[in-house]
Amino acid sequence: MTERWQLIAGFMPPTWAIVLLAVCALAASAEALWALQRDALPLPARLAILALRLLAIAGLFAVAFELSLAIDHVREYGPRVVVLVDDSASMGIADRAAPRGPATARVERVQAFFADERTRETLATWRARGIDVEFRAFAESTQVMEEVVAKTGDEPEPLPLTADKPASNLARALSRLVGDPGDAASASSALDPRPLAGVVIVSDGLVAEDDGADAALVQIARELETPLTTISAGAPHLRDISVTRVRAGEFAFVENISEFEVELVAHGLAGEQTVVELRRDGVIIASTPLRLAADGVVMPLRFEVAPDRTGQFVFEVVVHPASGEATTANNRWPFVVKVLRDKVRVLHVSGRPDWDVRALRTLMRKDPNVELLSYYILRGLDDSDREDRSAPLSLIAFPTDALFEEELGSFDLVILHNFDAVNHRVGRYLGNIAQYVQEGGALVVIGGDLGLATGDYRNPDLAAIMPVDIQVPTGLDTRPFRPRMTDAARRHPVTARLAEAGFTRWDGLPDLDSYNPIQANASTRSGLHATTLLERQSPDEPGTMPLLMTAEPGRGRVLVLATGSTWRLGFAADLPLVDGARPYDLLWLGVIRWLLRDASSERLTLETDRASYGTHAPVTLRATALSTSYAPEPEVGIHWLVRPLTRDGLDEGSAPGGADAIADAIARGEWTTDSLGRASETLDPLPAGSYEATARRIEPDTLAEPVDGEVGVKDTAPHARRVFLVREAGHELAWLDADPGRERLARLAEATGGVALALADAGAELPVDLPLRSDGAAEGQENVESRRQIALWDSWGALLLVLLGFAGEWLVRRQSGLR
Amino acid sequence: MAVASTGLGRRALAAQDPLSQYLDDRAALTTDVMGEVLRIDLPQLRYPGAWDPRPGAMQQLASELRLRTRLEPVREPTTVTATSRQLFDTPFLYVAGMSGMPTLGPEAEGQLRRFVDLGGLLVFDAADGGVDLQFERDVREMLTRVLPGSLLTRVARDHVLFRSFYIVDEPAGRTRTFDHVLGIQEEGRLKVLLLRNDLGGALARKPDGLPAYPCTPGGPIQREWAIRFAVNILLYATCTDYKSDRAHVETLLQSRNWR
Repeated sequence: MTERWQLIAGFMPPTWAIVLLAVCALAASAEALWALQRDALPLPARLAILALRLLAIAGLFAVAFELSLAIDHVREYGPRVVVLVDDSASMGIADRAAPRGPATARVERVQAFFADERTRETLATWRARGIDVEFRAFAESTQVMEEVVAKTGDEPEPLPLTADKPASNLARALSRLVGDPGDAASASSALDPRPLAGVVIVSDGLVAEDDGADAALVQIARELETPLTTISAGAPHLRDISVTRVRAGEFAFVENISEFEVELVAHGLAGEQTVVELRRDGVIIASTPLRLAADGVVMPLRFEVAPDRTGQFVFEVVVHPASGEATTANNRWPFVVKVLRDKVRVLHVSGRPDWDVRALRTLMRKDPNVELLSYYILRGLDDSDREDRSAPLSLIAFPTDALFEEELGSFDLVILHNFDAVNHRVGRYLGNIAQYVQEGGALVVIGGDLGLATGDYRNPDLAAIMPVDIQVPTGLDTRPFRPRMTDAARRHPVTARLAEAGFTRWDGLPDLDSYNPIQANASTRSGLHATTLLERQSPDEPGTMPLLMTAEPGRGRVLVLATGSTWRLGFAADLPLVDGARPYDLLWLGVIRWLLRDASSERLTLETDRASYGTHAPVTLRATALSTSYAPEPEVGIHWLVRPLTRDGLDEGSAPGGADAIADAIARGEWTTDSLGRASETLDPLPAGSYEATARRIEPDTLAEPVDGEVGVKDTAPHARRVFLVREAGHELAWLDADPGRERLARLAEATGGVALALADAGAELPVDLPLRSDGAAEGQENVESRRQIALWDSWGALLLVLLGFAGEWLVRRQSGLR
Repeated sequence: MAVASTGLGRRALAAQDPLSQYLDDRAALTTDVMGEVLRIDLPQLRYPGAWDPRPGAMQQLASELRLRTRLEPVREPTTVTATSRQLFDTPFLYVAGMSGMPTLGPEAEGQLRRFVDLGGLLVFDAADGGVDLQFERDVREMLTRVLPGSLLTRVARDHVLFRSFYIVDEPAGRTRTFDHVLGIQEEGRLKVLLLRNDLGGALARKPDGLPAYPCTPGGPIQREWAIRFAVNILLYATCTDYKSDRAHVETLLQSRNWR
């Protein structure tokens, strides 16, 4: 290291000031010289006067220009060569240099190469020439291998590679060699004083997904203006079958056929037979035999699936492994599909057409996602007795068996609208309806002069799930009244939009004019999560009476509306509209959304922080609980568990799995929600696979028999569910053939003026004369390691120097007899 | 059963002793809980001029509906003016006329526009039966103001209006001058109907209960068809296109071997 001195001006006055200063300084110097020549003084005095004046002028300059003295410590650096070594999962694949030769993992081939005596000698030669050699492992990101850099090559140690990263991004690794200001790792490259003279890439070359990425990679390499020497780690012979691509939509629709297009590629297995399966949540739902094609030939397959229920599911394409496969990690391709309702099937049954029936039917018919099946009683028994039997009627029989026994489960929503069930032979199916609700169905009972009024729903099973007492006929009161929203109604999805529109006090809305005086079902209400949303003032006594109530029995939902006059919310002279929507629309769309369990109406939600994780990433589960009035619900006990949906691996010889192969929960526990109804858990990283997380409320009626001393929750309890994936190597292993990678590396070397080597070739050797930059950058350069700066003007010394100059000259002059 | 109780479901009848089950269920009901009945009104528009050329027509239609269907109309249908709040008590309005209809004025026409926009059905009935088209002309003119841009077009024979209760081939009234009705069909529904065969004339009765006007040329049979068509109009008003649901269409086609 050497030292270098220099003066630095801290302030630069304007040009005119500099000129003025210079003129003054010259004038003062000239005047001093001229005056001294004229006076007869001894030489020492003349020289002293001149020196003191120059000292004063120098002092003035130091102050005027704020001069400092800079002392630099300078170091000379030699050129730098970076060795980029691929550490992605494909480097762990074992392939063969000869068809029947031993299989060697690519990473082992690389480690053996750098441990080889000849390679180490070559590296030593490079270093002897002043070249700094830096090793970096690259995958998704780049990591400097400090321990390798520190070594001088004396002791052979394997390169610290793991070959388990989920992707290899060579383009990013090359970009970071020149530095990216926004990136911390590459910023250090940008500050590296050593000039980049050459790059060595050691990889299987499987670093670009397609031709477009290939071209971009070559472009980035060219922009380095540095020769790239490439070393292909792969070998030409491989035994493997992989799922290379699955095309599947993110969403599918119930009962509609969805197509999943699959592409497979095999190597070294031509003519062999295998089986490809499609699994849903670990259960095989389709399989097809497949005779494997020649090396690298894409084999397309197609699965057609018609999901039978809504929800989020992990689908997975799985290929049975062949013996001696390089890896089975690429024999499966999991993906998550959310199955939605295509059309909501609604059964609308009414005992008598009226304006309320008309309004609800019109609303539902407007929605293209509703498949409406209506049965309205248009003629009674006495009507038909009077009828001319020859009159051509368009009436059809009421298919009670079909609707309430055979097809009931196919409906998402059943509406009993002012319906006298007993008169029409539906009384004996009321138990079926109760069971349908318990199993997840949705039921609406709308009042009027039939049904609730006449006690037509008198059935113990149905009564047990209703929030109101349906055993007692209510009759009908047609006095107009103004309903009132409860506090719960302000947040509940059924009425929230009405509340948001400012109708909590029913201001501006028409009165209703029919009411079935229902009573809340006190005996079963607590277990039903019953909530009153609308009520009316009792006309005859103090207190209120329920008008609109909801309940959540079992897995289903029930809504009881004790009036047949909500149509008036859509038809009035001065009806207020909300963004063009009638209050009637707001109410009923809220009803339907809640009954059909629109995502926003769930009271227990479970989320994961991501849909897909790496094997090193922790998994966070978050739950939120809402009360029946949709307020955050604190102190709620929630039982949660996580279980795998697929088996751990497809080892050779393993039989295809099914539901019985699903393991038990790998993590479970209980939460208690905080004051905002929240709870969360962060799990340690999980092994690769697909998982299901579920959360269930712990409530007295959902507790199951204790198992091993632990209290469980019944499977039938309402629950929230999420699925997520943990991926080991992403799609890094989809394409494993080394030949395209070798060609890619050769193109990179050719494009940048480097050389291409292949470890599978006999005699492959690191070139002693590594191609380096030829523009002088490889010659090395000086770098200022540190600088010390001493201010010459900003001190008492500088002031004293100036004073000394002026005062000294004055004293010398006085003593010499000059003025 | 869109449905006749006689139908009571043939399948249901095949189940275990349905009659005794039914009687048991029925007996279990508290028969003395009568309460009130949800009734529907059949209001008629009152306006200056000949607004009621066929007195009692709506009353008679209400009676026929009670006798033939499960609808429960009021016994004395009301009359309303276009500017009254009562216009919105029912999303159905019968407008009869003869020899012209006066301009109702902007306020009334604005109310009728809102009536239709919110889902109401306007039924115009020309009592002249096709002899004098002045009422039709006046209605057309008013509709250009109330529903600008909307067109009165022929309601197709396969429209659900012709099978909402009875299967009817043509819209008979007191006359059979026209074999079709006109309507404004928008947003998947009929907003306006214009009847030109004097349906009210076929319905109206004298105080002694006998028909007030002879139906020509078909006589009593034509009157019966006119009543059936009137019933269909009210069933359409309350059930809209219910009878065009796939389940109904398929069942009807199967029962009649129409395919």
